[in-house]
Amino acid sequence: MSQATDDRSELFLQFSQRKLTTLLVIVLAVGAAGLALMLTPTGTVWRAVSRISLVPVAVAIVLIVQMTLRGRRWPPDSPEVRMAMQDEWRRTNMNRASRLALVVVLLAQWPLALVLGFTQIPAPRGAMAMAMASITLGLATQIALFLFFDRE
Amino acid sequence: MGDERLQNTIKVQRAMRDLTQADLAAMAGVTRRSVNAIETGRMVPSVLLALKIARALGIPVETIFTLQPREESAGMAP
Repeated sequence: MSQATDDRSELFLQFSQRKLTTLLVIVLAVGAAGLALMLTPTGTVWRAVSRISLVPVAVAIVLIVQMTLRGRRWPPDSPEVRMAMQDEWRRTNMNRASRLALVVVLLAQWPLALVLGFTQIPAPRGAMAMAMASITLGLATQIALFLFFDRE
Repeated sequence: MGDERLQNTIKVQRAMRDLTQADLAAMAGVTRRSVNAIETGRMVPSVLLALKIARALGIPVETIFTLQPREESAGMAP
């Protein structure tokens, strides 16, 4: 294992953290938009979203991810990527984040059900909204906790 | 089980060999962050990783990692 590989693995870890931060923002944005759609399907949010083409949004996301990579390519079978993916510290942090995210999602079910119960929406849409909120909360918590644990 | 903690001498062993964390990480095939986390006591390594580090340093694993009673190790640097 050369010094160059180690430097590249360090770079990969930094870019991986930036990518995860970008992913966290995207998850929160998509989750919030989805939840707004579920709660007001015939309202202003639905009309606004139906007017927006998804192509520019997708292009913006790809551009942001490319900017975080700064033109570098990380093939999945390269030594630095394999080292980072099999790294024990990262895996430990991901496991801790996953466990805590599961606990957060489970604990959030009761208050979520209460809050959505107070909204005057039909039961199927309420269930969909609860699923969307749970998925968003779980993903966002897992990514945020991983970033927190993985800091130096 | 709960009244003992893992203590390591990685920092001392590195200093004796004039190695940086990055050097040791490269020799053991892990990232520098893993070495840093073990050295500062934030992570207990797996047996596999402990053996890799011992092999990289060229010494027995029990020279690096020892179990210390919590009472005795209280106040000591990890």
